[in-house]
Amino acid sequence: MTANQTTAANQTSTETATPETTRGDGAGDEAIRFEDVTKRFGPTVAVEDLNLRVRRGEFFSLLGPSGCGKTTTLRMVAGFEQPSAGSVYLDGEHVEDVPPYRRNVNTVFQSYALFEHLDVEGNVAFGLKRRKVPDDEIRSRVAEAIELVQLTGREHSKPRQLSGGQMQRVALARALVNRPSVLLLDEPLGSLDLKLRKQMQVELKEIQREVGITFLYVTHDQEEALAMSDRIAVMDEGVVQQIGPPEEIYETPRKTFVAGFIGVSNLLPATVEGDGVRLSTGQLSRAALPEGSQQGASVHCSVRPEKIFLDDLIEDGMVSVEGTIVERIYLGTTTQVIIELAPGVRVISLEQNTDRSRADDRWEIGQRVRLGWHPEHALVLR
Amino acid sequence: MGEGAEFDVGPSANRGDLVSTEGWAERVPLARRRPRRRRGRDFDRPVFLRVFFIVFMFFTFAPIVIVALFSFNSTPSLQNFTGFSTQWYDEFFSNVGLRESLVASIEIALVTMVVATVLGTTLAFGLVRARSRLAQSSNVLMLIPLVTPEIVAGTSALLLFAQIGIDLSLLTIMIAHITFSISFVTVIVRARLSALNREVEEAALDLGATRMQTLRLIVLPALWPAIIASALLIFALSFDDFVISFFTTGESPTPLPVQIYSSIRFGVTPTINAIGTSMLVISFLILAVAVALPRLLGRREEENVLIGRETA
Amino acid sequence: MSENRFAHLLLAPAGLWLALLFAVPLGIVVAVSLGTTDPIYQAVYGWHPENYADVFDPLFTPVLLRSVGFALATVVLCLLIGYPIAYYIARFGGRWKTLLIALVVLPFLVNYLVRTYAWVAILSDEGLVNGIVTDAGLSENGVRFLNTPWAVIGGLVYGYLAFMILPLYAALDRMDPALIEAGKDLYGSRWQTFWHVTWPAAFQGVAAGCVLVFLPAVGDFISAQLLGGADTYMVGNLIQQQFLEAANWPFGAALTIVMMAFLLIWLSIYLRSAARASREATA
Repeated sequence: MTANQTTAANQTSTETATPETTRGDGAGDEAIRFEDVTKRFGPTVAVEDLNLRVRRGEFFSLLGPSGCGKTTTLRMVAGFEQPSAGSVYLDGEHVEDVPPYRRNVNTVFQSYALFEHLDVEGNVAFGLKRRKVPDDEIRSRVAEAIELVQLTGREHSKPRQLSGGQMQRVALARALVNRPSVLLLDEPLGSLDLKLRKQMQVELKEIQREVGITFLYVTHDQEEALAMSDRIAVMDEGVVQQIGPPEEIYETPRKTFVAGFIGVSNLLPATVEGDGVRLSTGQLSRAALPEGSQQGASVHCSVRPEKIFLDDLIEDGMVSVEGTIVERIYLGTTTQVIIELAPGVRVISLEQNTDRSRADDRWEIGQRVRLGWHPEHALVLR
Repeated sequence: MGEGAEFDVGPSANRGDLVSTEGWAERVPLARRRPRRRRGRDFDRPVFLRVFFIVFMFFTFAPIVIVALFSFNSTPSLQNFTGFSTQWYDEFFSNVGLRESLVASIEIALVTMVVATVLGTTLAFGLVRARSRLAQSSNVLMLIPLVTPEIVAGTSALLLFAQIGIDLSLLTIMIAHITFSISFVTVIVRARLSALNREVEEAALDLGATRMQTLRLIVLPALWPAIIASALLIFALSFDDFVISFFTTGESPTPLPVQIYSSIRFGVTPTINAIGTSMLVISFLILAVAVALPRLLGRREEENVLIGRETA
Repeated sequence: MSENRFAHLLLAPAGLWLALLFAVPLGIVVAVSLGTTDPIYQAVYGWHPENYADVFDPLFTPVLLRSVGFALATVVLCLLIGYPIAYYIARFGGRWKTLLIALVVLPFLVNYLVRTYAWVAILSDEGLVNGIVTDAGLSENGVRFLNTPWAVIGGLVYGYLAFMILPLYAALDRMDPALIEAGKDLYGSRWQTFWHVTWPAAFQGVAAGCVLVFLPAVGDFISAQLLGGADTYMVGNLIQQQFLEAANWPFGAALTIVMMAFLLIWLSIYLRSAARASREATA
């Protein structure tokens, strides 16, 4: 457990006690648990043998491409889908037979799903009214929730009068006002423009810290997941590939898929030789070999672009290779240089544009260049 | 002004649009539209069609206009319009039997409207959401009345009532009307229902509403336009219906169309002009309501449209 | 409760209604068609398939053939009249398109019976047309319009024309007029353009319109009853007679079933070819 998570867990143990949150026995600090859960839709397997534990107060993300099963998993927590096999626990209790309206979870939908015929206040109050909460309590809690999402003053607007970002906040307030034990978010920022999305990411994270509720967040945007989560589960084709905190997922991916999906990764074909690998371009490199690697086995050597240094930045101890620059992409804060080591073997290098001369002065297409990286930064993946 | 290979771009195509005919595509040139002389008559200048259209409108409206006109004739003649009079309407409304028929028609239409709309709406909901062989068969069952000829509908209803032993009456007419109206409602409501965003219903469930509550508080408000439209349609269909009523009606009172039919069998009398015109007026009134209602409820309708995905 | 169960619950009332009050009666019709009448003209069940043989008795064949014939004539006329109208509005209607099509359909919203009655009034021996004819001296005692096959067909056309115009309009409206311009230049002749450009687009509409007119026209008896006479009886009149006048329900039921079967064959042919057409279009 990293420092982040310890603090998070300590923070939440005092804050999540609310009148409506039910706790089961043996819940421990788990808000959600999936045990050997499989979900089939006819012949297709959407989720396979899922085992997952989400801790109370955690900001947990399910990350993966479309169709990987992340939304199905979320819906099983919400109650809109039932597992074909296995068990789902909320706060330690079996919930397979519990319908969505009796679960202590609330969802923020991708399309916001606001009630058009009700105003903002009506939307936010909806859940409380269903639970027959007394009117004056409704009024104060609704005001509190609206303030939390910074929409005070717009209580009587109708959804069609609101912008995308505002509708997003109403959806959030509508869910949070019920003080659920878990908040489910299904790609809530997908429809917003880039700037607004970045802003909302920060706000959501702040709200989560303030309120202390467990967030289960689904997204296909790996940057978003890295920015917001305490822990991430990367999924592909119904199977969890890796679970861990953002730094772990990024720096030490354990599967080729994870390395390729998160950030940009250079995957160099290589074979195991000695206590390292021999790259397909010929160089021998020391590298940490995973357990059970056999000599001569085909593997991928994965190096992150920002860990590759060009030319005068190469230090002692680095593995170095030579190649030809085929492309140079200027991105404002950084410059990407694409180098071909051998036909079909290309590597992307990323460097920050600090106070040196402009990138187009530095690199020329067709130029031969040396590049290198520290062997510790090279991961061997099967 | 010359002939050339330029296309004379029609009014609705935009310059630069891709035009395709049987597999080959050609970009409509951006050349300006030039007046040009063509040899012979331009076959798309719609003189013939325009004339045809006008003649057509004349012939389709004429009978109705004539009936309406002669309903105010002061003499029983159907050939000469001699003067203005409302005597035929007086005869119509003072005739007890005819009045009862009018009332009966309205009663039947109202009951049919209410029952068929309720049943059709629940059926629509069930068909959209239920997954099973039974649901699929129900779907087929629902569609068959739509393609069943009215005479089959009428005779089968008659046989049913004979078999059960019910005497024919207004009730039997209502039952038969309802049976064949349900499908119309279902088709219309289902189209609207399928277009609704399911996530909104899920949101309601998620927030603690039971399925019944969700239906009542969230779905129905969104379906109102479709429900009302189909209700009005059913009223019009039932009020105008002849064939089914003909086979399932009792002695008296009979619905108005049946009355008209019997009267015509025995010769054309001017009172029928009045009856016919009155029915015409009622049909148009229903249409006017159907058109005006969405506008009146315009503001509320907007709010009843459930939100979809956010765009730009 | 699960969504599925809830949906089935909602399905039940109407489903039951339709099953009991629609499907069962159809079954009864079949059963009665195999029955016979007892001495006091009550229908009794039994096994009398000869009712169906009676349907094809040479006595009634003219009626059956006439029904199909009239219906076909109606379809052809509706097509000949309806197509130019639909084409005109679709192609040249411009901004007024919707208004025009609404105007065209407006008369057909009036009760079919009232509309047919209008023609009875106008064409009868004491009606308007005869009035004009005698006044103009074209004929001494007027022309007999009613009680002729063409009066019945005319009534049928007037009754179902809208069912041809609307699908035609829908299909033609979808067509891009620039295609016609392109076709004109490509093919040169009017006929070629029509055949290669307009017809394929319109065909779906034509097929739909033909079915929508043919099916009800075959079973129609109102036009034949009011505008025609015993010589122009259609199968609908025959059925109506058996049920309400002759009290020969089994025979009437057999007629009904035969007619239903006939129509269902054409309907399924249409549906199958429409399905194939849409599959090919999307392929």
